[in-house]
Amino acid sequence: METKKGHQHPITYMISEINAIFSEIGYTFAEGPEAETEYYNFDRLNFPINHPARDMQDTFWFKNKDVQEPTVLRTHTSPVQARYMENSEPPIRIIVPGKVFRNEATDATHEAQFYQLEGLCVAKGVHLGHLKGILEHFFSKFFSGKTEIRFRPGFFPFVEPGVEVDMKLLEGESKLAGKWIEVMGAGMVHPNVLSASGIDPMEYSGFAFGMGIDRLGVMKYGVEDIRDYYTGDLRFVNQF
Amino acid sequence: MKIVHSWLKDYLGDNLPAAEKVEELLNTYAFEVEGIEKVEEEEVIDVDILPNRASDCLCHRGIARELATILGVSLVSDPLKESTDLPVTDKIQIRIADHEACPRFTASLISGIEVKDSPEWLQKRLRALGQRPINNIVDATNYVMYAIGQPIHAYDADLFPQEDGKWKIAVRFAEENETVSLLSEGGKDEERIVELDGSELLIVDESTNVPVGLAGVKGGKYAGVHSGTTNIIIEAAHFHPIVTRKTARRLGIVIEASKRFENEPSRKLPPYAQKEIVKLITDIAGGECEGVVDKFVQKKEPLKVIVTVARINSLLGLSLRNDEVRNILLRTGSIITDIKEGVFEIIGPFERTDLNIEEDYIEEVGRIHGLSSIESVEPTFIEVPEINPRQYYGDKVRIALMNIGFTEVITSTFQKKGKLQLKNSLASDKSYLRSSLVNNLNAVLDANYAHVDLLALADVRVFEIGTVFSHEVGKVSEKVVLTLGARTKGNGYNPKDDKVLKEGMASVAEALGKDLDWQIEKGVAELDLSAALKDLPTPIAYIPLLSQVPAAYKTISQYPAIARDVALWVGESENPKSVISTLTRSAGELCVRQTLFDTFTKGGRTSYAFRLVFQAEERTLTDLEINAVMQNIYQTAEEKGWEVR
Repeated sequence: METKKGHQHPITYMISEINAIFSEIGYTFAEGPEAETEYYNFDRLNFPINHPARDMQDTFWFKNKDVQEPTVLRTHTSPVQARYMENSEPPIRIIVPGKVFRNEATDATHEAQFYQLEGLCVAKGVHLGHLKGILEHFFSKFFSGKTEIRFRPGFFPFVEPGVEVDMKLLEGESKLAGKWIEVMGAGMVHPNVLSASGIDPMEYSGFAFGMGIDRLGVMKYGVEDIRDYYTGDLRFVNQF
Repeated sequence: MKIVHSWLKDYLGDNLPAAEKVEELLNTYAFEVEGIEKVEEEEVIDVDILPNRASDCLCHRGIARELATILGVSLVSDPLKESTDLPVTDKIQIRIADHEACPRFTASLISGIEVKDSPEWLQKRLRALGQRPINNIVDATNYVMYAIGQPIHAYDADLFPQEDGKWKIAVRFAEENETVSLLSEGGKDEERIVELDGSELLIVDESTNVPVGLAGVKGGKYAGVHSGTTNIIIEAAHFHPIVTRKTARRLGIVIEASKRFENEPSRKLPPYAQKEIVKLITDIAGGECEGVVDKFVQKKEPLKVIVTVARINSLLGLSLRNDEVRNILLRTGSIITDIKEGVFEIIGPFERTDLNIEEDYIEEVGRIHGLSSIESVEPTFIEVPEINPRQYYGDKVRIALMNIGFTEVITSTFQKKGKLQLKNSLASDKSYLRSSLVNNLNAVLDANYAHVDLLALADVRVFEIGTVFSHEVGKVSEKVVLTLGARTKGNGYNPKDDKVLKEGMASVAEALGKDLDWQIEKGVAELDLSAALKDLPTPIAYIPLLSQVPAAYKTISQYPAIARDVALWVGESENPKSVISTLTRSAGELCVRQTLFDTFTKGGRTSYAFRLVFQAEERTLTDLEINAVMQNIYQTAEEKGWEVR
């Protein structure tokens, strides 16, 4: 049997695809460490000191003896927002696709490790309408069909106002077409997050959004069990 | 939070819309509704309260207030607007040792009550919430909590010793190794003794120094209300959210009361709760309120926040007029003072402890006005200022490796053994972090060799680009590695694997344009990609996206596949594709793959050898079953005039 071409993992393929869509509109692909300090993972993102996400039940912690300051496996790609903002001047436009970790029981829709996509835009005069426009642009391209976005009230410590984002694919044969689907959380960057990164919230504003790339694959390809992404099983990867 | 639809009518009167409309309004303007269910004739709405609103909306009055804001109406009855006047008693003495941990403690004394079943209307509401009615006193404490969000506890005053004619209640932290006897779950009678470590806040009978309950978490067995109780002390207090949460989590007692304290309801709430419960208990259990005592030390001044219409519009992307903004803020129950044109000073309702900065009010204006009115602004196409080298070179390596048959995998960051162990883990076999991908890829190679027939592969070739961790004293470091693996035979490493591996390493070297330093170990090679990328030229544009059109995704069958080979002599003119489709039809749907692996022609006839792979979605196939399928295939071939070799 001759050697056939190999297959790209759907997660890294989606990351390349996401990057292709966002780099066209000026978004830089940013990255940060997977072992992240509590300071960047929580404090800098305006998580109160007593926030439940900091609990051992939710977050993987490194042993005190192994680290100089409290360190976790990052629970989201959002700390890269803080890291990037403190080293750059607005306008800032970044996406951060990357692996994140949660200490939660696994099932077909939950994994202790998964991939997240973070987006951040900070400039003068940025508002929720810009966020809506960017997301419509992204989903329309990613799902190859005109897509509408809807905001609902939401809450995340690092944004205010916060919104939940639903999308609806308006056209095409896809199973997704014609119905509202909850896809991500987003909002205007909280003034505490901007200030802590040395950006004046009275001069600049920004939006941020975050979603699971694993779930994008569930929607796009019909993957039924997100654990399949991480088994190294070629019966899975070779379907892509 | 479960909300009984008809209960909201107490506050909203005729302005209360039907349950389905309530669902729609909450979904659009406030909270996601999980669903509506019917319990007895009651419609119960399951509302997912956002974390910042758990301080005021984990109760029926809170949801009613929210609906009033959305609808632009007033509440016909609002317990938080009632006077909190009750007579003062000097029969109860309260001493708080730590005012940070307990800023407020109120207690009322009601005498001459009769413990019995609650009236049916009250029982019905509790049942609708999934609560089991116990007796009128306990039910009343729960009812008021579900009504206005303040947890309440009742004690039998006659079982609570007095000293100098006074009940002496103290609030203090536990001592190490002190114990408290708690009421067991669901009001059952057995005792639950809990050992304390000193971090817990206690309610104590000061006359005997016996702990009577874990503050905010669980009432004690001490002085519990029973069927013969006639005089009661009612506690409504405010406990620190972190102290409450830590105790509740550590002891695994997360109940309705602790959930509310954790979310820091307003410190002004306890007197309103006293007023409500005194009214309710004297109504349904008789008796008389002798008085209340209120110890309130750590008061919080109401926050005044300056809000400007220009900033509201600039963050929301709207162009609301001053009067529109003013009107929306009034609907939230806030007090507004005009500072100048388009600038307001706002004091939020006292129960809204979530409203602290201008942006909090901007969110209120946005959602009450309606987020749907925000119009999208199309992005502009601008050049990306920098190209991420890891993404660029990563894609370059991927393309090179895929071209020679390597497939990309992503494996677990967690391992059973290793050098760097986490403080906490999901399972004992996942408590270490990987320091290399070698073990993972070996496991991938072993597991996948079994599927080569099913996947029509000659061998298994895989790679992963991933983060690995290492640690020196007091420091964790991470790097990205690229690891390749090859397996050409079924039983583990074989020297032939290295040949394939060499091919892979050469293609990576070519893609990156430099010599690389690989760690090679029995069919697996690893490269420090972070280091390798350091001196490479800065990329100037991303590689155009490869087109990838996956077939309709199919869930992997976990049942083993069986492979059978069949070789046939057919006429020289016969097309292999039509041969294969004939065989496939005859083989039936269990045949999941057909691969032509050998062809030669001799004496006017062609020999085709096919490998057929059989697999079922939901069971293990037997040889017997496949023998029958093969017989069927042979018969079909013979009918076609083909000779089975």
